[in-house]
Amino acid sequence: MSRLDTLIFGCGALGQEVAMQLAERGIEVYLYSNDLDEVGALLAKGMQAAVVDFKNDDKLREIGIGRWVKRIFCLFSDEPSNLFLTLSARALDADLKIIGVCESAASGQRLMAAGATKVIDPYEISGHRVHERIARPYLVEMLESSLFGKHIDIAEIEIPDHSRLNGAMLNDLDLGSRFNLIIIGVVDLELGRELIFANSGISHRLDEGDILVVIGPEEEISRLKQAVAENSLEPTTDTGDP
Amino acid sequence: MSFSRRVIKQCYAMQGSSRYTNVKQAVYNLLENPQAPIRPYFDIFMILLVLTTVWLLIYEVKNDLGVVGDLVEMVAVGIFIIEYLLRFWIFNDSHKVILERYERAEFINESFDLWPALWHALLGKLKYVIRPLAIIDLLAIIPSYRPLRFLRIFLLFRLFKLFRYTRSISEFVKVLSEKRIELVTLFIFMAFITFTAATAIFFFEADQQDSQITGFFDSVYWALVTMSTVGYGDITPNTTEGRVITLVLIIAGLGVISFFTSIIVSAFGEKIHEIRAHRIYSEIERKRIDTLICGYGRVGQVVAERMAVDRRSFVVVDPVEENVRVAKKKQGHLAVVGDGEDTELLLSLGIDKRIQRLLCLTGDDVVNVYITLTARQVNPDIEIISRANHRENVSKLYRAGASYCVTPYEVFGLIAAEYAGQPVAFEAVYGLLTGQSHEGIEAVRIKGESVLVGRSLESIDFTRRKLTPFGVIREKDSEAKVEHANYDLQGRRFFFNPGKSFILEKDDLLVLLGHEYSVVHFRDCLERGTL
Repeated sequence: MSRLDTLIFGCGALGQEVAMQLAERGIEVYLYSNDLDEVGALLAKGMQAAVVDFKNDDKLREIGIGRWVKRIFCLFSDEPSNLFLTLSARALDADLKIIGVCESAASGQRLMAAGATKVIDPYEISGHRVHERIARPYLVEMLESSLFGKHIDIAEIEIPDHSRLNGAMLNDLDLGSRFNLIIIGVVDLELGRELIFANSGISHRLDEGDILVVIGPEEEISRLKQAVAENSLEPTTDTGDP
Repeated sequence: MSFSRRVIKQCYAMQGSSRYTNVKQAVYNLLENPQAPIRPYFDIFMILLVLTTVWLLIYEVKNDLGVVGDLVEMVAVGIFIIEYLLRFWIFNDSHKVILERYERAEFINESFDLWPALWHALLGKLKYVIRPLAIIDLLAIIPSYRPLRFLRIFLLFRLFKLFRYTRSISEFVKVLSEKRIELVTLFIFMAFITFTAATAIFFFEADQQDSQITGFFDSVYWALVTMSTVGYGDITPNTTEGRVITLVLIIAGLGVISFFTSIIVSAFGEKIHEIRAHRIYSEIERKRIDTLICGYGRVGQVVAERMAVDRRSFVVVDPVEENVRVAKKKQGHLAVVGDGEDTELLLSLGIDKRIQRLLCLTGDDVVNVYITLTARQVNPDIEIISRANHRENVSKLYRAGASYCVTPYEVFGLIAAEYAGQPVAFEAVYGLLTGQSHEGIEAVRIKGESVLVGRSLESIDFTRRKLTPFGVIREKDSEAKVEHANYDLQGRRFFFNPGKSFILEKDDLLVLLGHEYSVVHFRDCLERGTL
């Protein structure tokens, strides 16, 4: 068995959906469930799945939690199982990324208290989208075809060590004119995980390890990534002459 | 024959006259149409009129009415008569009855005989006259005619006229009439007991020396008073036999009373949903509600909450009583208990005309597809937003007629995958998607008279306003020439990152990225033209 760093627990519709989406992004996953029938159905579809008794810590350690696994998804259909798994996994590995599903704000809080890194509420998001669709139909269509469509992607770009961008001000980057991209913001891990929006009025001084969040067409993003990697990108202001 | 021809000609003239039809429709709206906006005012007016005349009737017993009182009475009776005649008129179309017979005769080449046709038309009208409510109307009028003054007690029938004008009383009668069989059974049982007890008491007591029972009427009166547990005590049995009969009658009476109570209670228990639903229908009518939410699960709750914040009106339908209770009591939404599959219910909520937007948000795809399909069939113009819990059902929903589908699991998958790959970018997407962060994407419409028309993006200081121009959405048939790269957006063009030289046009949607306050401020400046 190969050592995959992403595991999905729960083989329901949600688990399959996540597995598919991850596969599209080139991330290989293993699905686990305590339900033999579900696992059988997945195996028949050609997905990698296995039965595991998640209530047993030894079994969890056996499949790699606390050892090589970096992130797990708790997608059981019942909240108690998700809570239990979150607690056990957190006890085994303090750095593990645990992403859970919740059905209400209260169950989301419980999962976070149990040690989940991120809790996603699909119903809340869906409800929000239905409402957006009613309130601002054009915008939803646009977001739909940009954020979820083929045209436009969101990407994060880390500023490498010894980059020429090191020390530049965020506002001076002016990527909009050189690349067909919009900078949404930057995350300075030294200051926390909060996204500092580019238009917030505070110009941020970039340094190594900062992560730029940009949005734009795929090819533009890869052009930018390449430029950053080759260190050929320069901030506009400190080049006084051409 | 010439008379017959004249009648036929007249009938055709009525058939063809739009004025006649309009007047008749207007009268129908006033008197009968429960949907008509004028109807409640008319009802209130009539209720006040009835109460006034009844009050006059009571006043008249001990006092003299005087001229004003008589005048009011005359006007009221006049209105009652006009109302009666109008109802008689709009009950059916006599000319249509005659024409139908005439055309049939023409069709099979038979000679047309006017009198049977007229008789038929008259029969149609007679059907109105013998309806209970019509009889009540008539009885409320007739005693005002002087030679029939002895019928004055029938003026009380005017109170019964209130049935027509108040929905709750007629609902009460309707509920009781559904329990007809039980009530008839109870009545027969009661009559049997009364009669038996009355006979027995008469048999034992009537010939006693100081008996209070002098005739059979007395004993029936006693039996009913005792059985109903009212027990005035003006007539009491004196003999031991009589007292034994009393004991038995009291026990039987308890049974009858409790039976009666239980019938009424269960009748209302069964009908209470319908009665409540009726209330809601009229509220929907009044508030001009145009959105219907089927399913008050998690997604439904979120949508309802957001829509309530927007002050949009909507009504919730959910089969689970508990959900509806929460929707009503805790959130204050309009809600009905009922299945979304119940086409009757959807129709009475006005899905075929008033409702313009239907949200099928139940957790069951089969139900969502079913509702979508039914709604699309009865109303081709309605906007249907449907929830698909499984990926493979999205195409089915679109085929069933959905305008838009939302897929909670797919969205979850997308976001989760994004998180696995790019945790930082994910936070931004998540904030945008859930609307939880104050930073977001908003669209601003450039109106025709706006100061921005014809200006380039460069001339607007977005940085100072803490906004980023994200894109512009423009109608495809816009005459402006297209020189920027754009994406197709179902009949519109979407210009991503339009650049400084982009010139804004009338009716463009400018999509901005920024804090909600910045956008509000921008909109405000745009309205006032101070940009």
